[in-house]
Amino acid sequence: MIRKTRVLFATRFAEMAEYRAEVIIWMLSGTISLVMMLVWMAQAAAAPGGQIRGYDGSEFATYFLSVWLVGQLLVVWVGWELDFMIRQGTLSPKLLRPLDPMWVEYAAHVAERFVRIGPMLVLLVIFSFLSGASFTRDLWAYPVALGLCILGFTCRFLYEYALGLLAFWTESSTAFSEVAWLLYAALGGLFAPLTFYPQWVQNIAVWTPFPYMLGLPAQLLAGKATLAQAGFGALILFGWVVVFWFARLLVWRLGLKKYGAVGA
Amino acid sequence: MTRYLRLIRIFTGATVSAQLEYRANFIGAVLSSLGQVGVALLAIGVLFGQGSDTVGGWTFREALLVTGFFILTEGFIAVFVQPNMSRIAEAIRTGNMDFTLLKPLDAQFSVSTRYLNVLRAPDLLIGLGLIVYAASALTTTPSGLLIAAVLYVSALTIVYCIWLALSTTAFWFVKTQNVAELFNGIFGAGRFPVTAFPLPVRFALTFIVPIALITTVPAQAMTGRLSPALAIASPLVAAGLFAVTRWFWLRAVASYTSASS
Repeated sequence: MIRKTRVLFATRFAEMAEYRAEVIIWMLSGTISLVMMLVWMAQAAAAPGGQIRGYDGSEFATYFLSVWLVGQLLVVWVGWELDFMIRQGTLSPKLLRPLDPMWVEYAAHVAERFVRIGPMLVLLVIFSFLSGASFTRDLWAYPVALGLCILGFTCRFLYEYALGLLAFWTESSTAFSEVAWLLYAALGGLFAPLTFYPQWVQNIAVWTPFPYMLGLPAQLLAGKATLAQAGFGALILFGWVVVFWFARLLVWRLGLKKYGAVGA
Repeated sequence: MTRYLRLIRIFTGATVSAQLEYRANFIGAVLSSLGQVGVALLAIGVLFGQGSDTVGGWTFREALLVTGFFILTEGFIAVFVQPNMSRIAEAIRTGNMDFTLLKPLDAQFSVSTRYLNVLRAPDLLIGLGLIVYAASALTTTPSGLLIAAVLYVSALTIVYCIWLALSTTAFWFVKTQNVAELFNGIFGAGRFPVTAFPLPVRFALTFIVPIALITTVPAQAMTGRLSPALAIASPLVAAGLFAVTRWFWLRAVASYTSASS
């Protein structure tokens, strides 16, 4: 089991390391939180007192750079991968292996994080220097935020996987992934800290996993969330991971029947 | 000229009928169009929901105008530009570019007009609708509208030229779709009026990557707050970019040696 995991991880890492130039471009193209950062910083500078709802320019910078960082750790593209594999039939040989193809994809995503982390930290230092962001000095926040990121990533991976599997039935599974991204972006806090949203949006958002996977770890890094909030978020995320685990399993079982039925 | 117009009609017919075969895709596309606009409105709504009446000196309705132009441009890219440009790299890799170049047609014309993605046409309607809605509460003059239309044509030319230039690099580098990703990332700044950004960024968005010319400038023309310098700059930049990309394309084709050689 351990050997299997090691081989799986090592091969996926080698594969992802080949895409290192692309990884940097993918990172740079996820700029929406940086755009929002610049706009909010300019808004704060223009506001009376230089701050909006207790956030001044450098606090906005810290929040949005943290969101950017967490967002980088949560990137998932498995929906597109499944859509392609199901449509092109390259899923078939993978079914013959004595291993659920999900684990291969999961390992690939995790391995990609290790390719990403070096250039990501370099960019983070440059951006922080340019924008005047300052991260929290409470050291406990970093491992806690990382833990939330791991839970959040797993959660996102599972629901994207289940959505990608819809390609068994429909040609537009990537559109569902796009809609899921929009929910994630809107409720996760990509455009503003969640407390800036209208109350009714916040009331809906607290029941979804999105604020806890993106906004909450970012708030931890910015020094604006407590350990209790992190624990509560982790619990909710864990609940969603369980839900999505079974949802994925169900879609997978039904999908395989359908896949076999057409003789593919 | 009439020959080219006739060809556009034939190309359009073929690509539309091919896409209408997949009806379920349409539902997915409509879903993501609606989601897209919802998110754009949320981003701007949250920004204005914090008690200040203006962002970068723009009122809510004026900023909405910019968002309208942003969504319209995204629709233009999704419907007309991307389906064609993303196929250039593939055609070069597989050697299919040979057939395009052998046809008695301008090759840049045929790679640019062959495909359409009709499924994203709702984006165009949503963008236009948003512009009309935003403009209905603002005072606009007929001449302002006319200038805005002209400036928006230059804006679309700029978008097309940037995409074509990026895609043309496929003649030397095999993969280019990532460069397109990069463009989308930077273009995301176009959803807000350029004055909403800090000064150095504003400068970069106007003069280095002309995002400001694409969405902010036509909106400024509609509200009658456009400076004459920018009004002249936009068509000039468009014409200049068009000439440069045309030259770049011809050079790339000249250096093309097919897939196997």
